Amino acid sequence: MNRNNFLIHIALAVVLILVAAFAGQLRRWQHEYKARVRIMPAEEKTRRAATTAEVAEIEARALARPEVLVKFKPGISDSTIRHITAKFNDRVEDSIESVRGLNAIDDLDDADAVQTAAAYLALPEVEYAEPNYDIELDDFASNPIRPSDPRFSDQWALANDGQRGGKQGADISAMNAWSVTTGDDDIVIAVLDSGVDYNHSDLENNIWRRPANVPEFVDDTAGTIQDLQGYNAINNDADPMDDNGHGTHCAGIIGAEGGNDIGITGVNWKVRIMPLKFMNAGGYGTTKDAIEAINYVIDRKNHGVNVRVISASWGSTMRSQALEDTINKAYEAGILFVAAAGNASTDNDRRPHYPSSFPNVIAVAALDRNDKLASFSNWGAKHVAIAAPGAEILSTWLGDEYEEKSGTSMATPVVAGVAALVAANEPRISIDDLRKRILTSVDKLDSLKSKVATGGRINAAKALGAQ
Amino acid sequence: MRVGWSFVASDLCRTIKMSYSKEDALSKARHDLARRLGVKEHDVREDAVEEADFPDTSLGAGTDDEMSGQMITRGWRIKLQANNRTYEYRADRNQVRLYDFNGKNFLL
Repeated sequence: MNRNNFLIHIALAVVLILVAAFAGQLRRWQHEYKARVRIMPAEEKTRRAATTAEVAEIEARALARPEVLVKFKPGISDSTIRHITAKFNDRVEDSIESVRGLNAIDDLDDADAVQTAAAYLALPEVEYAEPNYDIELDDFASNPIRPSDPRFSDQWALANDGQRGGKQGADISAMNAWSVTTGDDDIVIAVLDSGVDYNHSDLENNIWRRPANVPEFVDDTAGTIQDLQGYNAINNDADPMDDNGHGTHCAGIIGAEGGNDIGITGVNWKVRIMPLKFMNAGGYGTTKDAIEAINYVIDRKNHGVNVRVISASWGSTMRSQALEDTINKAYEAGILFVAAAGNASTDNDRRPHYPSSFPNVIAVAALDRNDKLASFSNWGAKHVAIAAPGAEILSTWLGDEYEEKSGTSMATPVVAGVAALVAANEPRISIDDLRKRILTSVDKLDSLKSKVATGGRINAAKALGAQ
Repeated sequence: MRVGWSFVASDLCRTIKMSYSKEDALSKARHDLARRLGVKEHDVREDAVEEADFPDTSLGAGTDDEMSGQMITRGWRIKLQANNRTYEYRADRNQVRLYDFNGKNFLL
């Protein structure tokens, strides 16, 4: 090789090294950009269709994690440590060799990690105790979960890709929320409506059924009612089958089974929907029957059913003190009441709509797919709390069908569904904290300024601390 | 079709099964208006019958002590004329209602 060839080879090598370095930097910039904007490319979303089984596996792994890290004081023997943990029905999952006395402890009751750590900290043998915090990547968008339900792409409320002229991102950030939880079948949510088609193939696995240890409902006039799966306040019997469609639509928004390769998904992939019927085939009902149905929910709660939310997609401008009193009783029993703000395009602060204008109720306005207040929606800077997608919403319908419907009726179960997700993730959350969490987990929108009290659209990921 | 129903408050929400066509609804409305005004049915003139979206499942014509689903509901707006006045009925396949008759709504 002569001197010229040698220099050319050296130059080529230097160029190649520079190109490789630049390509590496480009990849780093690209990664940083994705992490910052938290938007996932459409093709990547399509690839990550998750079934219920896959999500269950992720959640099971999370449950098996040790809850607390406890450092015992020097001199505390292993047998004493084992004795203490056994007393709490815990077990030492691992000892950290590099820090003498430090143990990862698994609470076999899966109790709240903060409370478990506090219990250890109170012991004289313990130097310190802390929850085993999840350490998560800042890039949540790298792990959103897209369900395998074939019509999910039509559910703009959950994931708005700009379909049909909508605004990208004008949704409740459901996919990011589902990276935390997809719901829990320990959570019961009452759908107080025209009943629910409990045989719909996208709902039947998520319908509440009275556990054997809960006694039948006893009504003062009708006597014992064998309430196997809800209650019909019109006929005062045990069959809450929907003959209108409205209740079935609302139920699907809350909890159509997710990841089952059928139809759509609800805000909750799994949950227990308690069907209640007080509106007839025409879609209307009396205040008295609404009260009877709420009374049923309170009774079931008092008998140990874990009802956390009532979703009420109905109303009128007539005020009823009896209805308000009953809703207050539900609140006292720890049941959050979420209601539709109404569809008269009017200001509820001037012309109240009930039950949404009662104080112990979260009133919900409706948004369209462009994050604008829907043309039909009521509003109220004082008496309407929050907004949620409520126009052109696809959900379950009678006859194993699906239909698109609009109304604050459709926005209400979105908020109720997010409340159920929060309760699934934090089973011990109080009703006051649950209400507060919902009202502080919004994306503020200019279109809602002076229209709803929070000024924003519900964001499920924020409610779960995932954003 | 079941016609001539007369609801009182306690009957309002017994489970109902019916299905109106547009023609059924128009016929029921015409009959109702003639009866209310004390005129013959052929003196009630059809002004307009058009499809419309109503704000709720009571077609925006709810009666006292009635709660309705807050879902936009497609139906028919039926305008009838009699005694030189126009009266509005609202209907869908489940119901026929008289809207704002002397300040009140009526479920037929």
